[in-house]
Amino acid sequence: MELAIEVNELAKTYPGDVQAVKEISFGVEAGEVFGLLGPNGAGKSTTVGMLTTTILPSSGSAQLVGYDVVRQARETRSVSSVVFQEPVVDRSLSGRRNLDVHARLWRVEPAEAKARIDELANTLGLTALLDRPLSTYSGGQQRRLEIARALVSRPRVLFLDEPTVGLDPRIRAELLDVIAGLRDRTSTTILLTTHYLDEAERLCDRLAIIHEGTIVALDSPAALRAELGEKIVELRVCDNAQRTLELLRERGLAGEDAFAVGATITLPLHERGAPETIAAIEGAGVRTTAIATREPTLDDVYLRLTGGQLSAAA
Amino acid sequence: MTAATPELVTPLPAIARDPFRPLATLAHRRFQLSARTPRELVVPLLTPILFALVIAPALKQALHTSTAYEAFVATGTIGLLIPLNTMFAGISVLVDRESGAQRELLAAPIPRALLVLANLIVAFAVTALQIAVLLAVARARGIHFDVTTTGLVWFIVAGSMFTVGMYGAAETLAARVPRTEEYIGRVPAIAIVPWFLAGSLFPINALPGFLTWVARLLPLTHTLALVRYGLLNDPSSLDNIWGMHNTTTMAALSLIVVAAFAVLLTTAGIRVFSRTAVR
Repeated sequence: MELAIEVNELAKTYPGDVQAVKEISFGVEAGEVFGLLGPNGAGKSTTVGMLTTTILPSSGSAQLVGYDVVRQARETRSVSSVVFQEPVVDRSLSGRRNLDVHARLWRVEPAEAKARIDELANTLGLTALLDRPLSTYSGGQQRRLEIARALVSRPRVLFLDEPTVGLDPRIRAELLDVIAGLRDRTSTTILLTTHYLDEAERLCDRLAIIHEGTIVALDSPAALRAELGEKIVELRVCDNAQRTLELLRERGLAGEDAFAVGATITLPLHERGAPETIAAIEGAGVRTTAIATREPTLDDVYLRLTGGQLSAAA
Repeated sequence: MTAATPELVTPLPAIARDPFRPLATLAHRRFQLSARTPRELVVPLLTPILFALVIAPALKQALHTSTAYEAFVATGTIGLLIPLNTMFAGISVLVDRESGAQRELLAAPIPRALLVLANLIVAFAVTALQIAVLLAVARARGIHFDVTTTGLVWFIVAGSMFTVGMYGAAETLAARVPRTEEYIGRVPAIAIVPWFLAGSLFPINALPGFLTWVARLLPLTHTLALVRYGLLNDPSSLDNIWGMHNTTTMAALSLIVVAAFAVLLTTAGIRVFSRTAVR
């Protein structure tokens, strides 16, 4: 399978010896939706910046559709588009003009650009707004326009850098539908960065969990969840959670993939049964305020790998 | 929003090397943005017109100088109009960076120097228009110019090069300061202070000795000397700088200074912008 994005030991160190990205490697197949999941400051945007040629890598290499992001920066930009984390638009110009500028800079022929703009406006529900200044658009309309703009040039690779940050829940849900539509109906390769688990789970074929500049896990959402088995027991304890976890390990009730965050201990069950495990925990004299079983989530995967709460960190 | 998303992937043409189409696109965009912000066009014009039409006649009356003094100050105000206008144009770079589409433009498959050159084209056009307005208003107010074809060429070339250089200064400053407030705080030092020293309101040899030498180093002094030579057929400002007998030689030397200023500052503006655009 052809790789649309190929990243090899890519690293970025900012002045002051701040290592934002530490020699990460991954490949994204053509047509795949790939997620970079991690809290703010994890290195997601720096990675996207390097892939979109606005940040110069300190070491390593990366190619987009075979173009080297450093040596062939313009070629790299010609096959990609970006939807930025915050609005990046000319607010006093009309939506159509914003799209038209993109089309011209990416050298889409005028007749094709016009047809393409009308087509995308129709697809993204922007037709009635297109000739109004962007300053009159709502947040969600503006986001949809930015997605339309990114698609005008038919990019091989589309970067969505936390596209739903700061949007209210209704607009966010609406936008997720739009992105899911892209995923389902196109073969553009999409690299999505997010710190929202539901986004990653819903949209991504595979995702990399990035923590402090390092990729700590890379697989499909289902495979990542499967590492924790089908069920987990979650208990809130009265005593020190870390010491309690060690006690449970000594008793053979917790494996190496069990983890404690705050007063909460999470125990992947794997082959063990839930009722027996809960009974054994209570039998071991562990004092709890709550105990429950549930299916593992990506949040659990993230907690196990990083020891930090993803949503809270974000 | 529920209709099928069109198929996205088609073969892309090889990257084109012709820079003129994207330059025209960027300049058109900048012009549209400026046209939607009338203050960008009007504000820089107010102070020079005030000088040319109100302050110069008042000075003439108070100091009992000749009619030529009005012409001297009217041409001198060009030296205020160009820096003010180009520095105000530089604010649009900060606006673009802070709340505009600069990041989108940086992601475009074009040389990033085109962003600077497109802004320069619009700043140049707006400045030229403002100078034309200033001169027309001055003429309507009865100020006499003595323009020959050769003089017009000296004036246009000198004014153009100084405008280009000042816009380079604006781009350089805009790329280096983090916020608009800091940029605006530095504008007076760059756009206004030199104007007082460059022979705008009085000949530079009226300054204390060391300041006369400072004035001779300012590109604005050379520009104004060439503007007066071109528009008033008055080589005295050139003579105050060079003290030579041959006027054409003095004009050529001043033009070299202004040209060097334009090349240096434009190069600096492009380099600083391109470097700060990529972290």
